[in-house]
Amino acid sequence: MHLLHFREWPLANEFIADALIRRLRTTSALEEEDIRAIRSLPVVVRHYQAAQPIVRDGDRPAECCLISQGFCVRSKTTSNGKRQILSIHIPGEIPDLQSLHLHVLDHDLITVTECILGFISHVSLRELTRRKPNVAEVLWRDTLIDAAMFREGIVNVGQRAAPSRLAHFMVELRERLKVIGKVQGARFEMPLTQEQIGEAMGITPVHANRIIKQLRDENVLEFHRGSVTVIDEQKLLELADFDDLYLHQRPSL
Amino acid sequence: MPRFHFHVLEDGRLIKDEEGQEIAEKAVRSEAVETGASIARDCFMKGSANQVIVDVRKDEEPFLKVSISIAIQGPNDSTTIKRIPPSE
Repeated sequence: MHLLHFREWPLANEFIADALIRRLRTTSALEEEDIRAIRSLPVVVRHYQAAQPIVRDGDRPAECCLISQGFCVRSKTTSNGKRQILSIHIPGEIPDLQSLHLHVLDHDLITVTECILGFISHVSLRELTRRKPNVAEVLWRDTLIDAAMFREGIVNVGQRAAPSRLAHFMVELRERLKVIGKVQGARFEMPLTQEQIGEAMGITPVHANRIIKQLRDENVLEFHRGSVTVIDEQKLLELADFDDLYLHQRPSL
Repeated sequence: MPRFHFHVLEDGRLIKDEEGQEIAEKAVRSEAVETGASIARDCFMKGSANQVIVDVRKDEEPFLKVSISIAIQGPNDSTTIKRIPPSE
């Protein structure tokens, strides 16, 4: 059993909502009253080990999962067992927010690292969004940005050569980590293994290994266990073909 | 499951698979072909190599080799491909 402990806390007293509030403030104009309302949501905090499913394809969850610490991925597996990692998720994100309105989950949500997760019941989320239309709009905007990231992901996997694809993925992850204050200098957390990088890029682990080496040999990125260092920012941005517009990180735009 | 190493050679330049992977013997062929085809696509489009070999070893012993190469004949008979918009 991956459930080590659980307690119910209001989001108000806990660090658990901080990254969420930081994120939502970056993408939307949030009022103090809305922040108070979000912080008053009851949350059940659970500790997960790495590589544990949180919700699975076909499940009917009754709660949404807010990542407080750690990394998760959403993925889908074909009938012959090939897994595509669809997206990576970081603290402050609610990767299965869609389950509030789409009742049967159409993909898996899995921890990559050890995680601290906050579960918010659909009942309390629904009550909040009905009472506070502004919060509903902010969450709607959040799922629209999620969809924008998926569009960029399709372009990435469909049109960019594998080294550019990986470079783009890394720049996006870094830009998202910046919002929650998790980038120190040129280094940032990146927990995916070679195999998982392959699954995210749609290539085999051996091809992923080749690209990782190529990016290092060309002085673009250095991969360590659990993190990445940018060697040459200019080269990285050129290779990544990155335009941050789709992340919609400015509420005024 | 046995451990296989998939070493890659691009025009003879070796990229070693240090980690290797535990994979069913009957899955090795398709994994090697997919790896070769996918690396070859990158190399051929970029023009960085004309031949890609995936040299699969089982416990250091040769197990399977997949070789993929490109030859282009025509007006620009170099295998260095520049992306040209279709309208030109």
